[in-house]
Amino acid sequence: MTTESMQEHWEQLMTVAMLGTDRRNPPTPPGPLADLVADTARSSASERMLAQVAACTAVRRAGVVPGPVLDEIAMPDTDARPTCIPAAIERWHHITESWPILEDEWTLTLISNGWRIAPELLPAMLLRHRSDAIRRTRVMVGAGDAGRWLVGHLPDLEPRHPAVSVTPEAVKSLPKLPIAPELAEMLDWPGAEVATMLAQSIQTGSLGHSHKPMLVNLIARIHQDALSNLINVLTGIDPMATGHGLATVLVDLAATRHRMLTELMR
Amino acid sequence: MSAAWSVEQVASVAPSASAMSAAQPLATPSRWSQLGVAGTSVWGSFQGSGTEPYDTIVDHSRLGFSCSCLSRQTPCKHALALLLLWVRGQVADTVTPSHVEAWMQRRRAASSRAMAAADNEAGEPPDGGSAPAKPDATDGSSATVDGAVIVDEQPAPPAPPPDRDATRNDRVVRMHAGLAELDRWLDDRIRTGLADSSLARYATWDQLAARLVDAQAGSLANRVRRLAGLVGASTNWHDDVLAELGILHLLAQAGRRIEMLPSSLADAVATTVGWQVRQADVIAGVPDTDEWMIAGRSDVREDRIEVRRHWLRGVNSGRWALALSFAAYQQSLDTSLPVGSSLHADLHRYPGPALRALVGTRHHDPVIHPNVAAQFAASACSIADGCAEVGVLLAAEPWLDRVPVTVHARLARTGRAWALADRTGSMPILDPSTRAFDSGVAMLLAVSEGKPVDLTVEWTPHGVIPLSIHLPDRTVDVGPRTNTTFVSAA
Repeated sequence: MTTESMQEHWEQLMTVAMLGTDRRNPPTPPGPLADLVADTARSSASERMLAQVAACTAVRRAGVVPGPVLDEIAMPDTDARPTCIPAAIERWHHITESWPILEDEWTLTLISNGWRIAPELLPAMLLRHRSDAIRRTRVMVGAGDAGRWLVGHLPDLEPRHPAVSVTPEAVKSLPKLPIAPELAEMLDWPGAEVATMLAQSIQTGSLGHSHKPMLVNLIARIHQDALSNLINVLTGIDPMATGHGLATVLVDLAATRHRMLTELMR
Repeated sequence: MSAAWSVEQVASVAPSASAMSAAQPLATPSRWSQLGVAGTSVWGSFQGSGTEPYDTIVDHSRLGFSCSCLSRQTPCKHALALLLLWVRGQVADTVTPSHVEAWMQRRRAASSRAMAAADNEAGEPPDGGSAPAKPDATDGSSATVDGAVIVDEQPAPPAPPPDRDATRNDRVVRMHAGLAELDRWLDDRIRTGLADSSLARYATWDQLAARLVDAQAGSLANRVRRLAGLVGASTNWHDDVLAELGILHLLAQAGRRIEMLPSSLADAVATTVGWQVRQADVIAGVPDTDEWMIAGRSDVREDRIEVRRHWLRGVNSGRWALALSFAAYQQSLDTSLPVGSSLHADLHRYPGPALRALVGTRHHDPVIHPNVAAQFAASACSIADGCAEVGVLLAAEPWLDRVPVTVHARLARTGRAWALADRTGSMPILDPSTRAFDSGVAMLLAVSEGKPVDLTVEWTPHGVIPLSIHLPDRTVDVGPRTNTTFVSAA
């Protein structure tokens, strides 16, 4: 029994099924199907119909065949840049969940160090920044032609406001974060000094939870070389100190940023 | 205040990285009440989305956790969040409430009994000496104790053994009655036709499903409910519904004649209809031992339960196996089988030529190594051969609605729809515009960039679902994923 004849019979069954056997008798089953159905003692038209439908469905499923051969889709242009390492992929997921303040630096560092955004990150990054023209532009720069190609195939990934333009400076620069002047001057200090000052201030209570947003901004923008010192010194804060909890949070941020930048080095 | 831990120490007791991630947003003081720490215990009440808050207690010295949430994970995300608050200094020293004190007392008593029993076994008098602290997890179902004195009760006398034969016979009779009613219902649908308005009525389906549940045919009830969801769901829904009516009739007839079927087929029919098999009986069977590649994962919501399917393929046997896990609201799914790894383990298959199996003894933890990628590549076949593999499984069990296969194929378009294709043909991908779907096609498109790749998919009667892409250096999990607001860890 050929696929075509089975398909024709199925269409006949569909017609009867739509009307119901109260209005139309089931078709005569062809060939081997007739033998299969005839084995069952069926007195009513509906019972005979059910037997045919069951048999036909089982045969069609077991006889699953490939569909037609389809044309290839055009591939994106080759990009010579290597894709970022798997650890950096995991880090992006971690950052966007726990420390989204670091995402801009992740993307800009990736681009400036000559990496390409890993393909498996592209859908999530393009979806995430459909409404943010600057961050979206960075993603498209980091993705290369693959980003344009992907958006061309998936309209769901298109930007919400395609007419919005951005300046090259905005794309290339980290956004400014509000930091109080007395903390901002630490951005230029050597790492050991920053770490010591912060640790002392936290232990004495002159910096507390109310300063947390500023401290987070500070650590997100402090020189990379200062991060190791910060981690070591803040980790050593007395667990009995009032600010130990705050220090723990800042250590987590500093460590995340340090690992992020290390993973994006070439 | 006792010496607090570090964030890294909290992370080290978390059952998984995702549990830690789930805990982070909960570690906000505004969502907690009655926080406190004293001695070696930390406690608090977390206000979730329900009416009743979850009462959480942590013994941070002897590693014990108690939470009134439904999570099966230990520690749950609430316990982890409480620890994070504590390490951040956001939990104040205060007087221990009575329910916390009672819990700590029970733990001390249990520990003393355990130490005494161990000492007695060793022939030494109990000396109350220190024993290494071991995690002592609760099952998350503890209720608060309001100052009640805990008294050891005498164990109840053992219940008389049930009359298993009578119970079984009763179940068989009920199931036969349910299958007969299913056939009568199917007969009515075929007589009145698929254009009849009764198909659009919720009661038409719900009454039958309820009747099948009463008849211990719960799996068939689930099929009926899924079938109800096909009505009007697509332009060719009549085709889908008629086919599924045929399958239901096949199962009803097979179930009513089960004693006449070959034993393995009878087992398969019984399991598919909903005959419950005890896990202990499955585990007691001869194991199927192999190096199992964890080829793919998919999550799907069935009524109010999230179902996770892990597809495993034996390196030596080439056989497929299915490991299922289930989670109700705020429970956890199985995260112990990372896609793309391999696991040397004993699998215990359910009766019949069943794909479904329970994972028994694990001879080593799942590992990811370069050989795994090569093994996936070796198991990938053409589209035509993949269809043939699927056909073999469906010939044995036409009622299967998900069948795994690993193919070497590229993405292709047919109008607005997507398909997997190679020089031997194509397989349509489940159309996301007509049925619930996720971004699997987007990931597949991004990772493959139009080139052929090795990938594991789930065949369904309506199209294939991409589950994972096997690259030379890693496997990318692209299978449908549960909504993380529904389950507590995924």
